[in-house]
Amino acid sequence: MTDLDDPTVLHLDEYLAHPPARVWQALTDPGLLAQWFMPGDFRLSVGHRYTMRGTAMPGTGFSGTVQAEVLAFEPERMLRLAWRDADPGSPSAADWTITWTLEPEGRGTRLFLTHEGFDPGNEMQRRARSIMDGGWRHLMTNSLAAVL
Amino acid sequence: MDVTPTAVRQSSSPAEDEIFAALASPVRREVLRLLRERGPQSVQDLASCFSMARPSFSEHLRVLREAGLVSERRDGRRRLYRLEPVPLVRVRDWLDPYERFWRDRLSALRHLLDDTDTGTGGRPHDSGSGPRTDQDEEKP
Repeated sequence: MTDLDDPTVLHLDEYLAHPPARVWQALTDPGLLAQWFMPGDFRLSVGHRYTMRGTAMPGTGFSGTVQAEVLAFEPERMLRLAWRDADPGSPSAADWTITWTLEPEGRGTRLFLTHEGFDPGNEMQRRARSIMDGGWRHLMTNSLAAVL
Repeated sequence: MDVTPTAVRQSSSPAEDEIFAALASPVRREVLRLLRERGPQSVQDLASCFSMARPSFSEHLRVLREAGLVSERRDGRRRLYRLEPVPLVRVRDWLDPYERFWRDRLSALRHLLDDTDTGTGGRPHDSGSGPRTDQDEEKP
């Protein structure tokens, strides 16, 4: 990331010493996805919706369970998914777009990931809430200690 | 950032809250995007990209200015706005847990691909039969 990047978008990339066809297979085969990513009933078809169960991310409010939808794809080049937090009450209020892009590089593939849709307004509220929660917990512990 | 972890957990600095508040508005994020893509712009040029009353737009610019995300300078009769990216560094920690998540997953992907290559001849150290090439990938 450079200083000029949009702070609400996450960009990552990784060089993989394998041709795009194999990387594409790992991104789209449910059996392989379950091995390196998360188990879920993925199907390569625009509009297909599926659920993936992962682990919660403490400190972000993300429940870890994703309600996903295939938005677009170009075989061996690009796969775009919508990701929402499957827990509607989740404080992360995730409504993200995940885009995988594959580019041949030498004998391998450069895999790019764009994770968009982070909401600074929601983060602001989450912070305010966690500060209040911390305050309450502190207060409760103190009052309990006083009573006991 | 040279703040201790406890200090961060106790309360985020007011400046950081101001930056998040400034970024919370889609209009203000769009202003930043325009400045990022086009470089410094006059108030008139920026305002022409939005269908809103001028006082409302000026208010958005004020919030961005006070958060330190844009600066203003006079150029003759025009007021030019430019992006000040430094404060954005302060909110970057926000996405750290997600960045770690993806780094872990990408490394799991790399391991999976490398491991499933065993026996298919994709990697030089798979056997002692000398250097291999990508053409070997096709073998079962």
